[in-house]
Amino acid sequence: MASGNLKTLTKGFVSENPIFVQVLGMCPTLATTTSAVNGLGMGIATTSVLIMSNLVISIIRKVIPEKVRIPSYIVVIASFVTIIDLLMHGFVYDLWKTLGLFIPLIVVNCLILGRAESFASKNRIVPSFLDGLGMGLGFTGALILLGIVREFFGNGTIFGVTLSELKLFAMILPPGAYIALGLLAGLFNFIGIKKAKMKKSTNK
Amino acid sequence: MLEYLKTGFVLMLITLIAGLGLSFVYNLVKEPIANAELGAKLQAIRKVLTDPGSGKLLVDKNTIPETTAELKNFEWEVKNFEAKDGIIYASEDGKGKVQDPVYKFSTDDNREIYVLTGQAVGYGGDVITVAGFISSDGGISLNSIKVIEYSQETPGLGANISQENIQERFYPVSNQGLSENLKVNKDANVVVSENEIKEYRNERGIIQVSDVMTGATITPRAVTTSLNAMYEFLKKAGAE
Repeated sequence: MASGNLKTLTKGFVSENPIFVQVLGMCPTLATTTSAVNGLGMGIATTSVLIMSNLVISIIRKVIPEKVRIPSYIVVIASFVTIIDLLMHGFVYDLWKTLGLFIPLIVVNCLILGRAESFASKNRIVPSFLDGLGMGLGFTGALILLGIVREFFGNGTIFGVTLSELKLFAMILPPGAYIALGLLAGLFNFIGIKKAKMKKSTNK
Repeated sequence: MLEYLKTGFVLMLITLIAGLGLSFVYNLVKEPIANAELGAKLQAIRKVLTDPGSGKLLVDKNTIPETTAELKNFEWEVKNFEAKDGIIYASEDGKGKVQDPVYKFSTDDNREIYVLTGQAVGYGGDVITVAGFISSDGGISLNSIKVIEYSQETPGLGANISQENIQERFYPVSNQGLSENLKVNKDANVVVSENEIKEYRNERGIIQVSDVMTGATITPRAVTTSLNAMYEFLKKAGAE
């Protein structure tokens, strides 16, 4: 059971990474990763919503009628997103201002609804919590990675620290998001395929 | 039939509990949110009341308002202007707007400082700037600005307007510079070298930003547009 739990937690990091492998939640991914800090802030906000919605949906999974499960999930998710939005507005005003419109948009992040439907609604509380945490961390990590790549090539900085004079503005603008995401997803899948092949050849 | 009722009832229950929870959190954070908003506003006002050269406050430290009620005491009643939908004045070309209310402070040496909030459309939405104008014998001059709303600008490009070293390019501006109408250097078709930035700003109203905000002209242009509208308003409102 312990190793099962560990797997539930870590599968979101690489093998089932929400962004590079599952390709979920693309809207905030493309829009907020202009810098590493923005990616981090968005990742943390999404992770907290994901953990709480997974927990609550797992708790009430037996009460929710099959036919209205999607509306029920949306109500739970939207409530938590609004709570996060209000809390950030009150306590981390500057970050709230930077992320702006994208916090309310967490509601429509497929990742959260996807995890509610495919995991939390079928599993007990502890695994659901771990799944939310793992997927959230995988999401956050991927956002930071994407943010670092775009910030470095677009502005020559990482987390605001100047490293080079490189300024390819396209990387900060929307096209750069697609290019960076595509290349990174390609890299992740390349590594995945190579690993699988190596496993195969050793099995022979 | 019964199943439909039951389904509807459960969904209603979930919605009700979620609504209750939300209202609880809302009441809890109502005060911190109001404080954060007020704090941001007061911080901006404090900044534009500070002399950018010496870093000293131009007004007596104790007069800086700390609450909404105290701030209200500084509201300036402008004759012949009526606020509509929070906007007290729109510039002649309609691009820049001045928000209501406007504030008026007095310095230690009896000069007037007008603190105005202006807006103009940037890349995505309104870019809002708070600015402090000093009226003296030589006419109205711009003391300092603070851009407080830029959330619709491109992060990493236009949103860099939030950086202090970029905002410093916009102020202070002499009366002559203001009457020439402020414009970004790209619109004036010049590139100003580092040691002439001040002269160009004060004599011709040219704000050099293309070196610190490469690839983003729209956002600083919105700031200059709103500053011009504020200056236009002050002249018409009879600020001396």
